[in-house]
Amino acid sequence: MPETGRYFDGETGQRLTVDLTLTDQGVLRLSHPDLRGGSEPGHLDWPYDMIRAPGEQARDDQLVLTLVADSATDSALVQNVRLTLVGEALLADIRSLCPDLTKRDVARGTGFKVVTRLGMAVAAFVLMIFVILPAMANTFARLIPIDREVAYGKSIVRNMERLFGGAKAGDLVCSTPQGDAALARMVARLTENTPTQYDLNIAVMDHKMVNAFAAPGGQIVLVRGLIQKAGSADEVAAVLAHEIAHVESRDPTRGALRAAGTAGLLSMVVGDFTGGGAALAMTQWVLDASYTREAEAQADAFAREMLGRAGVSTAGMATFFKTLDEMDSVVPDLPVYLSSHPSPADRSVLAASFAEMQSDTKPVVSDADWQAIRNICR
Amino acid sequence: MSAQIFGRYHGKGEPLFWLSVRTALLTLLTLGIYRFWARTRIRRYIWSATSANDDSFEYTGTGLEKFLGFLVAIVILAIYLGIVQMGLFFAGLNLFVDPDSASGAAIARQVAAIYITLFAVIPLLLFAQYRARRYKMARTRWRGIRFGMESAAWGYVWRGILHYGLAIITLGILVPRATFCLEKYMTDRMWYGDARFEQDGKWTGLYPGMKHIAIGVVLVLVGSVATVVLGVAGSVGFAILTGALAVAGYVWIVVGAVYYRIYAFNYLTAHKILDDKVGFYSQVKTSTVVFTYVVGILIIGAVSSIAFTAMFLVAGAGAVLSGMGFESSETGGIAGFVMVGIITTLFYIAILLAMGALSLVVITQPIIAHLVDGIEVHGAQHLDDIQQRSADQGADAEGFAEALDIGGAI
Repeated sequence: MPETGRYFDGETGQRLTVDLTLTDQGVLRLSHPDLRGGSEPGHLDWPYDMIRAPGEQARDDQLVLTLVADSATDSALVQNVRLTLVGEALLADIRSLCPDLTKRDVARGTGFKVVTRLGMAVAAFVLMIFVILPAMANTFARLIPIDREVAYGKSIVRNMERLFGGAKAGDLVCSTPQGDAALARMVARLTENTPTQYDLNIAVMDHKMVNAFAAPGGQIVLVRGLIQKAGSADEVAAVLAHEIAHVESRDPTRGALRAAGTAGLLSMVVGDFTGGGAALAMTQWVLDASYTREAEAQADAFAREMLGRAGVSTAGMATFFKTLDEMDSVVPDLPVYLSSHPSPADRSVLAASFAEMQSDTKPVVSDADWQAIRNICR
Repeated sequence: MSAQIFGRYHGKGEPLFWLSVRTALLTLLTLGIYRFWARTRIRRYIWSATSANDDSFEYTGTGLEKFLGFLVAIVILAIYLGIVQMGLFFAGLNLFVDPDSASGAAIARQVAAIYITLFAVIPLLLFAQYRARRYKMARTRWRGIRFGMESAAWGYVWRGILHYGLAIITLGILVPRATFCLEKYMTDRMWYGDARFEQDGKWTGLYPGMKHIAIGVVLVLVGSVATVVLGVAGSVGFAILTGALAVAGYVWIVVGAVYYRIYAFNYLTAHKILDDKVGFYSQVKTSTVVFTYVVGILIIGAVSSIAFTAMFLVAGAGAVLSGMGFESSETGGIAGFVMVGIITTLFYIAILLAMGALSLVVITQPIIAHLVDGIEVHGAQHLDDIQQRSADQGADAEGFAEALDIGGAI
């Protein structure tokens, strides 16, 4: 009894049970009275080297065969005809006779297509992320009314307080009459010769972190840890001047706008696979770092000018960055392109050389005021 | 061919598990690029495991095609999303009010303004949903004959917004209308060869499927109201009891939602007609699906907790050993810790990959098997007369769905 297979001609839904002959002439012969289109009626010859079997088949008790095509009708380079075989011996014979059974043929020009599409996608992303979105963020940051910006900044400070563990608004804000007055005198001294377009609203938050933030609309937060770490009022003034610089150049607003624009873009590329979250965070970090390093350097320059005009020595700034550098040294340095800020050592050197050119400087506030600021969280 | 034929699923757990692990590993090593090929290979397996009248289905999509479609989709999405999201965020900022002096209504408006940025993607999600179904149809064959779907995604987008909007406004009462009308829109544009599908039936026919959701809602309402009343009255014992009733109602709603989806699937399948002659019947059971799901979660939970415990024990032992062995030289000790860290990370990733593969094998595949095994086709003798249809280039080959991450389980 000859071997049989289920044949589908790729034109109709009809199933034909065809007889199969494994010939020595390099072809698999299909025979059925209704078969047309072959060299003789009732027979079709499939050359062994043209036979292909699709991959990842769930059933090992059968084999689906088709023929390689000259050009793709849809995605894969195979014809519409299908032949399903069963029987262990037959499958073994076919596997040994057909040399290219599992070959995946690729249409000509595929490589070119991949390269051009990849190039287009990369170009579009680079253009969006580094040119169009930053330009839009700049424009929008300038268009937004100041009172809206202030409202937005206040709500950000609220959220920050919640992150630090404050149960309700104002919980973590430190305030003493002397401390508030001393801070106000520090700000007045800094802005006397450098007027600001925003009303500055400076809050001290009770947390051990050594940091300071500028939120949109003149909202600045000094964290208690930073004041404790600072060796003098000049050091705190340097940090404050730096944050005022961010406020004045609308960096926080611009950053928020840009984040809103780029938010979905990266997660789209990386997709949702195991480990994708880490890859995403890494890319986002490098991207943010490249945006902000420049802004940080500019804010430093602005802060030095501001301190200079106020007659405050930037030596305090140099000392503070040195302290930061020593704190950083506990963990190994990150490469420059991974860090969002310029290296503290470099910033310290810049501040120190600026200080050398200054004359007639005096401390930003009196010793009594400095003590009041230090004790503002008691 | 006989007038009545049946669906049957032939897939097995072990080969699919290893296929999934292999492809997930390649995806990880290529930083996600292989995911298009991974998904394609898994689909090929599942399609080829599905048969009707012993003839297997075939998935003819390729990973390369999906990758290329994705590249086109992300260019369009990058431009659209970047600009629209920033614009909406800016509009939202202009509605911002001072948190110190704002009224409740103003704050609500502001929150709404921020969430409005999320709506920018909704039309795209609907577009992608239609395109994804069209692509899967275009790349599915049975007996060498292609399935297909008309190019009509934008019509789906505005209908989707309208129907889901109505469903939300009516607090879910018009959900069956949305389900039915949107499925009808798609089904009426689906083809097998030169034969067209048609969605028969009425949207009101889906209401019996809502019954368990309704029961759950009633339980939650009664339970919560009674708890508050009793709590005020001071009878704590009864308040706890009615509180438990509310929680039970919540669980009832969750299971009820599954029941609704399955009821809708069975109803919509039973009312599909191909070429005015071929009919279908589906008998998916909620109990089987929920049972499979719960058992699957338990298996995955048990396996992962054993694996993680083993990992922590090994990592802990390694840390202690490396700490002791290199006590004399500090750098050696650090190298030891780094080694332990790397091994732990690799182990952790391996567990995550295995969990993904396991959920495919113990949850997704058994549910697909149950679904396929419950399908009957009537009037199947007419399938012999169906003619081939021309190829669909596949447009974005699901690129939008991939980029917006709405691919689903497979």
